[in-house]
Amino acid sequence: MFPLMSMSTVHKFYVSITKVEYIKEEQSLQIIAKIFTEDLEKTLRERYNPEIHLDSKKETASDAEYIQKYLSKKLKINVNNEPVTIEYIGKEYENDVVKIYMEVKNVLELKTFEIENKVLMDMFDEQQNIIHFKNKKIRKSLMLDGDNPKAVLNLN
Amino acid sequence: MKLIKYIALACIFLSVNMSFAQEEKDAEAEKEVKETGHLNDNKFKQLYEEFASPNMYRSASGTPGPNYYQQQADYVMELELDDKNKTLTGFETITYTNNSPDDLEYLWVQLDQNVRSRDSKSPLIQGSGAFPADRVSSFVNDHMGEGFDGGFNIQEVKHEKGYSLPYTINRTMMRVEMPKDLKSGEQFTFSIKWWYNINDHVNDGGRSGYEEFKDGNRAYVIAQFFPRMAVYSDVEGWQNSQFWGRDEFALPFGDYEVTITVPADHILDATGELQNRKEVFSKTMINRYENAKKSYKEPVMIVSQDEAEAASKGFSTAKKTWKFKAKNVRDYAFASSRRFIWDMMAVKIGNKDVMAVSMYPPEGNPLWEDWSTKLVASTLISYSRMTFDYPYSKAISVHAKSQGMEYPMICWNYGRPDEDGTYSERTKYGMFGVIIHEVGHNYFPMIVNSDERQWTWMDEGLNTFVQYVAEQDFGEIYPEAIAPNTKYPSRRGPAKNIVDYMSGSQDRLAPIMTKGLNTYNFGANAYSKPATGLNILRETIMGRDLFDYSFKTYARRWMFKHPTPEDFFRTMEDASAVDLDFFWRGWFYSTHYVDIGVKEVKKFYVTSKMNKEIRDMMESRGMKESDLPPLVYLVEEGSEDFEEDMKTTSINDVVPLQEFIMDNFSPDERSKMKKPNYFYEITFEKPGGIPMPIIADITYADGTSERVKYPAQIWGKNDISVGKFLASEKEIKSIVVDPDEETADIDTSNNSWPKLKKMGEFNKFKDKVKG
Repeated sequence: MFPLMSMSTVHKFYVSITKVEYIKEEQSLQIIAKIFTEDLEKTLRERYNPEIHLDSKKETASDAEYIQKYLSKKLKINVNNEPVTIEYIGKEYENDVVKIYMEVKNVLELKTFEIENKVLMDMFDEQQNIIHFKNKKIRKSLMLDGDNPKAVLNLN
Repeated sequence: MKLIKYIALACIFLSVNMSFAQEEKDAEAEKEVKETGHLNDNKFKQLYEEFASPNMYRSASGTPGPNYYQQQADYVMELELDDKNKTLTGFETITYTNNSPDDLEYLWVQLDQNVRSRDSKSPLIQGSGAFPADRVSSFVNDHMGEGFDGGFNIQEVKHEKGYSLPYTINRTMMRVEMPKDLKSGEQFTFSIKWWYNINDHVNDGGRSGYEEFKDGNRAYVIAQFFPRMAVYSDVEGWQNSQFWGRDEFALPFGDYEVTITVPADHILDATGELQNRKEVFSKTMINRYENAKKSYKEPVMIVSQDEAEAASKGFSTAKKTWKFKAKNVRDYAFASSRRFIWDMMAVKIGNKDVMAVSMYPPEGNPLWEDWSTKLVASTLISYSRMTFDYPYSKAISVHAKSQGMEYPMICWNYGRPDEDGTYSERTKYGMFGVIIHEVGHNYFPMIVNSDERQWTWMDEGLNTFVQYVAEQDFGEIYPEAIAPNTKYPSRRGPAKNIVDYMSGSQDRLAPIMTKGLNTYNFGANAYSKPATGLNILRETIMGRDLFDYSFKTYARRWMFKHPTPEDFFRTMEDASAVDLDFFWRGWFYSTHYVDIGVKEVKKFYVTSKMNKEIRDMMESRGMKESDLPPLVYLVEEGSEDFEEDMKTTSINDVVPLQEFIMDNFSPDERSKMKKPNYFYEITFEKPGGIPMPIIADITYADGTSERVKYPAQIWGKNDISVGKFLASEKEIKSIVVDPDEETADIDTSNNSWPKLKKMGEFNKFKDKVKG
């Protein structure tokens, strides 16, 4: 069997990985979300427009904007209990995955980090979104799913 | 050479002295706190405790033992596919041979389709929550309807003499009771009559079922469809662990005689050799088939797209029966539709011709007619080289939307272009990868028949590893298929691709040696990590020659048998004389990771002036300078004895050394001597739990560089850090550990000396978009 590909069969694994790294010197939370292109394309088509194409010659600038629009609705971060703006930097494709780069700027200090990642959960019941958080001291992985799309890390 | 030895002697002297001082300090400390003892926790400890004991069934060398046995299950099946009612009906006769030394009181039969029955417990083990919104169709299906019933309807289970046998169904397992115990060496023949509703695999999921096209036609890909014997073995007894939907199978080998009745206008292919080609093929098809048997470069169309599209309009009510025989297979599957295009070509494997076959609806073109059959052929060549010559007569790649699943000689693969016939690179490589992977499964687990229910990695990991090799081969044989890439972009295999997974937090990781159903990140755990581990063994630890020979030995020893993990681990060592217990322990039995770095580099100078360490030693032992042999001393830059002018001292200026050389070597010998002027002690550290060879690129002041490689066993005595003394003619400018990223080092921030501020993935991208 071949997992981690877009399949609507029982053995398909709906997983995305989001890497979040806090760099104190740059006052920056650097975010890279890796999502299966096929799954994201399917979701955007159903949600916005059936003519959306990702990672193909047919991809248009407005198709790419849908990614940004969708992410802004589905990915939310609170820093020290306050919601913050996630700046969209860009995206690139790597094999069957789209890597989306985002940044939260001006994070002088990170005491608590709260993330809600509902990406693709509107499309796939079994979607799991894994968060790999990292700063100088710790690495921590969080598993978010439909039951628990949110998690908090206390970094004090 | 001797000169180096002489200097090294001085160093030994120095280190003896230092350890002497260390012992004294330790003795003092011991008075205060008594340390507790510990068991052998050395990373190189042999795996006696983890491995099952070798015995008469399985030898310590990893080969089947003198009393190795396996059961045999032979099937005669009559099947009928009712396209109108979407049902499959079967009557099967199983002849079960008990080759085990045990007498069996009952038999276990697997009923995989019951995972789709109305009372299936599979959905019950999935956690679920309330959704603010749901698609209307799935809301109705989940909460309002009765749900689709795709479970088995078992109509009868009978003894060969015609009377009914008592049976009990526990979900996906059926226990059949026999009139008397089946003694060792005896056979038992019984029959099962059954039918079930075929599911729509595109909308309802499953690895078997049909896809319905807009014109009302269906393409059936039918698998895990008949009651199948469970495995009885020396390691598990009956392997009757329930089927939950995601896990795969444990199946005994056997011979199959199968007749499949389908609508007369269907095209069908299946596991095994077709017995009545003249009855089911037209004359034209037979001619084309004969041509295909002689075509080694390009596939020959048996049924063209035009013919498939014409046939799609028919909907015949007449029936046709296809007859097959398959020897020594562990399972059976078939695909049937009137919308199938069919092409074939021959591929030479050893001194035998094998048919590479593809079946696909027009929806698969242009991708499928261009590449599917060539991928099948290329895969068979690569895998045969890495393991054994493909023993079956054919390998079929069937295009089924969203599927990727393997059965003996036949598999279902995705990769569908858009409706306008265009496709993305992602679709193309998805299709290439899945065909290579699923055709590759013919070797693992169809022939090297491991227990998939228990150990997912044994077939998926090994297969994903060979898939990587086969992908690289394919890119070389068909450069036009991967252009503009010059190397096939393999997703799984390269060491650095596993770093994300292995650096995740520990509470979300499980060792590879965990039952597949119980791991968090199934794809990474059972596919990528074992495949990457084997790739590291091949490229970095063992080398290709030793690895390939051993891997091949494993495949050949266990061809048409049932291996366990230990059989694999043991064979890899047995055939190579490389002790790999540390690697199995670290990579397969634990969630440790690799992290090796260069901690510090100390620079030393040679001098004839005695240094502090030796002065102190002489004092403590009451020695005089005249008691010492002629010595050359090493002084660390910045230490108490260090003087600036040492930097310009050459080894020629060290008088005792020079005298020794003049007295013992001829001018000719002297001219050939190395003249090291730079002396370093490099300390490597290992924060990670998995020992790996230290690979380091050393760059010198003159711009040249050199690669050094120390075997993983360098960590045998000290698991945390290890020093290396280097005498060099040139000054070292920088050192980089694991320069080619071949060890899956999860943290490269400590890999360079002097410390490099490496730009992360994020900043690299940010710079790029800024331009």
